[in-house]
Amino acid sequence: MSGFFQQLINGLSIGSVYALMAVGYSLVYSIMNFSNFAHGGVIMIGAYIGFFAMTAFEMPFAVAFCLAAFGTGLLAVVIERVAYSPLRKRNAPFLYFIISAMGVSIFLENIIIASPIGPTFRTYPRVFGTTPFIVAGVNIGRLDVMMFVISAVSLALLIFIIEKTRTGMGIRASAYNLRASALMGVNTDRIILIVFGLGGLLAGIAGILFGMKYTVYPQIGNITLKSFIAAVFGGLGSLPGAVIGSILLGIIETFTSGYLSSQFRDLIAFVLLIFILVIRPRGLMGKTTEDKA
Amino acid sequence: MDWFYIKGILILSGINLMAVLGLSLLTGFTGLFSFGHAGFMAIGAYVTAMGTIKLGLPFVPALLLGATGAAMASFFIGRLTLNLKGDYFCIATLGFGEAIRLILDNVQYFGGARGWPGIPVSTNLTTVVILDIIGIAVLANLIRSRHGRNFKAIREEEMASQTIGINVFRYKMTALMISAAYAGIAGGLLGHYLGFLQPKMFQFVKSTELTITVIFGGLGSISGSVIGALVLTSLPELLRTFAIWRLVVYGAAVVFIMITRPQGLMGGYEITPTNIKKLFSRLPGSVGKKQAVGGDKK
Amino acid sequence: MKVLELKNVTKQFGGLTAVGNVSFEVEKDSIFGLIGPNGAGKTTIFNLITGIYKVTEGEILFEGRGTNSLEPYRVAEMGITRTFQNIRLFKKLTTYDNILTACHHNARYSLLDAVIRNRKFKAEEKGLFEQAQELMSIMGLEDRKDVVAGNLPYGLQRRLEIARALASRPKLLMLDEPAAGMNPDETARLMELIKEIRDRFNLTVVVIEHHMDLIMGVCERIVVLNFGKKLAEGTAQQVQANPKVIEAYLGEKEVVVC
Repeated sequence: MSGFFQQLINGLSIGSVYALMAVGYSLVYSIMNFSNFAHGGVIMIGAYIGFFAMTAFEMPFAVAFCLAAFGTGLLAVVIERVAYSPLRKRNAPFLYFIISAMGVSIFLENIIIASPIGPTFRTYPRVFGTTPFIVAGVNIGRLDVMMFVISAVSLALLIFIIEKTRTGMGIRASAYNLRASALMGVNTDRIILIVFGLGGLLAGIAGILFGMKYTVYPQIGNITLKSFIAAVFGGLGSLPGAVIGSILLGIIETFTSGYLSSQFRDLIAFVLLIFILVIRPRGLMGKTTEDKA
Repeated sequence: MDWFYIKGILILSGINLMAVLGLSLLTGFTGLFSFGHAGFMAIGAYVTAMGTIKLGLPFVPALLLGATGAAMASFFIGRLTLNLKGDYFCIATLGFGEAIRLILDNVQYFGGARGWPGIPVSTNLTTVVILDIIGIAVLANLIRSRHGRNFKAIREEEMASQTIGINVFRYKMTALMISAAYAGIAGGLLGHYLGFLQPKMFQFVKSTELTITVIFGGLGSISGSVIGALVLTSLPELLRTFAIWRLVVYGAAVVFIMITRPQGLMGGYEITPTNIKKLFSRLPGSVGKKQAVGGDKK
Repeated sequence: MKVLELKNVTKQFGGLTAVGNVSFEVEKDSIFGLIGPNGAGKTTIFNLITGIYKVTEGEILFEGRGTNSLEPYRVAEMGITRTFQNIRLFKKLTTYDNILTACHHNARYSLLDAVIRNRKFKAEEKGLFEQAQELMSIMGLEDRKDVVAGNLPYGLQRRLEIARALASRPKLLMLDEPAAGMNPDETARLMELIKEIRDRFNLTVVVIEHHMDLIMGVCERIVVLNFGKKLAEGTAQQVQANPKVIEAYLGEKEVVVC
C-alpha cells in the first residue's frame, strides 16, 4: 500500500508543477482567447535563470527563485509587446497569434541551443537536503514537499490577487468581456501586461521547480503540451479547472508510469486529451460559447 | 556545390511541397489549422515501407497504399475532432500528431524509437517532380470548381455556408482526407529517399514547419505554397554552415512575418497565365492583347 | 397551401426561454412579417427554422415535412435560405464569386469529375456561370461584379446577400432585418425588390424587420413577438390596431430603429 501512496505523492508533486504551468496558460487564454504556445519557452528560460543564478553566481535558493520568477515575468511581458500586441492592434484572427507564439517558442528554444549555453542537460544542485520525510511508512521527498508547498502558496497568492484586489477585478472583467471592460474604463492594455506578467511569473516558478526535480535542457518547453492538456481537461479559461486538471493529470500519469510502463506515461496524456475532446470538449469546468447568428 | 547536392535539395523541397500542397487545401483554402500533419506523413511513410518491404509492391502502388493509410487515419481523427471549435481543433491535431509519433516509438515491429533501416531508395528527382506536378494539377482543378468554391466559403463564413446548402462537415472531412493523403505520399517519398525511418523525424516541429510554410506562401494560393516550400526547404539547407542558428532565425522570421505581412508572400493571389496577362495589361503602354477576364473563367 | 408551420415551438437556453410556445403558419407565395422588440426571439426563430438551433419542444414543418432534427445544410437543400442580421457575406470573395458559390447545388459533378475536367464538369460549370450572371443582372449587381464583397457599399452588401440566398432557387426566403441601416429611399426600393423577387421567383418570403413602413407596406400577414411569446397575429391593419401590440411595441407611430 505504501507503493500506492508513494505514487500518489509523486503524482501530486508533478501535478502541482503542471498546475503552475496550466494556470499561467489558462490565465492568458481567459483574457485573450488564444493559446500561448510560447509559454513553454518561457518556462524553460525560468529554469535556466534559476540554474545559472545558483551555479554560476552562487546565489542562495531564495534569491535565485525570485530572479527566475521575475525575470520570466519580464520576458513574458516583452514577448507580449513584441509578438502579440501588434497583432492585437490589427484585430488579427487568433490563429495568427498561435503562429507568432510558435515562432517565439522556436526562437527561444534554439537560441539557447545555439548560444554557448548549448543543449547539454544540466542538473540543479541539491537545495533541500536528501533525507526524505517518512510518514506512515511512505517516503516523501523534501523536494516534492517544497514543490507542492511553493506551488500552493503561489497559486494562493494569485487567487488573492484576482479575487481581492482592484487589478484582479479588472482581470476578471476583462476575462469576461475584453471590449466591454475597455469601454467601462478598465485599462485593458495594462491588464493584459499584468496578466502576461503573472503568467510569466508562474512559468518561472514552474521552470525552476521543474528544473530542480528533473534536469534543465532547452526542450523543457515541450512539457507545455502537458499543461495545455491539463488546462483543456480542466476547462480552457477556468483557473480552478486548470489546477484540478493538472493534479489529476499528474496523478494519472504517475500511476500509469508506475503500474503499466513508463513508456506509456506520455501517451496517456494524449489519450486523455482525445477522450476529453470527444466526450466533453469544454472540460470539467469550462464555459460553453455558442455562436450568435 | 555539385549537382548531387543540388539534386538532394530539390528532392527534399519536392517532398515537402507535396505535404504543403495538401495542407494548403486544408488550411489555406478551407481554413482549418492543423498542427499534427507530421503524423500523417509518418503513417504514410511507414505504410509505404510496409508495402515495398513486407508486401513486395512496386514503389508507386506502395505510395498509394501509404496515402490511403494516412487518409483512413485522418478519417477517424476527423470524426472525432472536426466538430470542435478553432483552438480545440488545433490542440487536438497537435495531440494526435504527437500520439502517432509516440505510438510508433513504442511499436517494435517498425523498429520503435531506434527506427527502421534498410528501406529501398526508390525516390529520385523525376518521381518527385512528376508526382508534384500531378499533385498541383489535381489541387488546382479541385479549387477551380464548385467544390473549391465551397471550401473557400467554409473558410470565409462557416454558418453562411451551411445556409446555402454546403455540407460543412463533409467538406471539412474531404479536405482533411485529401491533405492527409498528400502528406502520406510525402512521407513515403521521404522514407524511400533517406533509406530509413525514425519516429523522431515526424515531430511536432515538422508539423509546425508545414503550417508555417503554408502561411509564408500565403493562405489560399497554390503558387504561394510552391514557392514557399521551395524557398523554406532549400534556404536552410544552403545555409547549413549556420546550422545551429538556422532555427533561431527561423523562429524570429516567423514572428516577423506575422507582424508585418501575415498574408504571406502571395497574399491569396495565384500565378496563372491569365493573371500574368492581367498584370501586363495594366502596365502603361501595355503589351499584349486587351485582357479578357482573369481568375475563374467567366 | 401552408408552406411553413410552427407548432408550439419552444427554445430554452439553460434557464432562459428564448421562444415560448409559438405557433403560426405561412401561406405559400405570401410575404410574411415577424416583428417584435429586440430580444423578442425573432432571430432565434429563424435559427430554429434553418436548423442552427434545435427546438427544445414543438415542431417545425416545411411543406408538410418536419425539419426539427435536420442539419442546416439539409434545411437549405429542402428549399429554405436566409440572410443574416449582421451580414455574413464571404467578405473576401468578389460579388460574382459570392453568388457563383451559392449556385453550387445546381450542379451535380463530383470531385473526380472536377479533377479530370470531363464533359459533365464543363457543361455544368458553364450552366453555373450563366445562372450567376443572370442573377447578378436581375439584382442589379452586374457593374460591381468583380468588387470584393467587403468593399461594397452597405446597401449593396445587403442586396448581395439576398442575391446569394436566391442562388439555390429556394422556395422560402427568410430575410433578417434586410433594411437595417437603410434610409427611407433605400427602404422603399427594397420593398419593391422584395415584391418583385416574390413574383418573379415564385417564392414565399418571411421578413424580420424593425422598419414599420417596410413591414406594413409589404407584408400580407404579420406575427408580433414579445419576450419569446406570440403577442398578436393578423394583417398589417389588424396588428396596428391591436392594443396589446401598441402597448408593448409600437407606442406612437414612432419606430425604434437600432
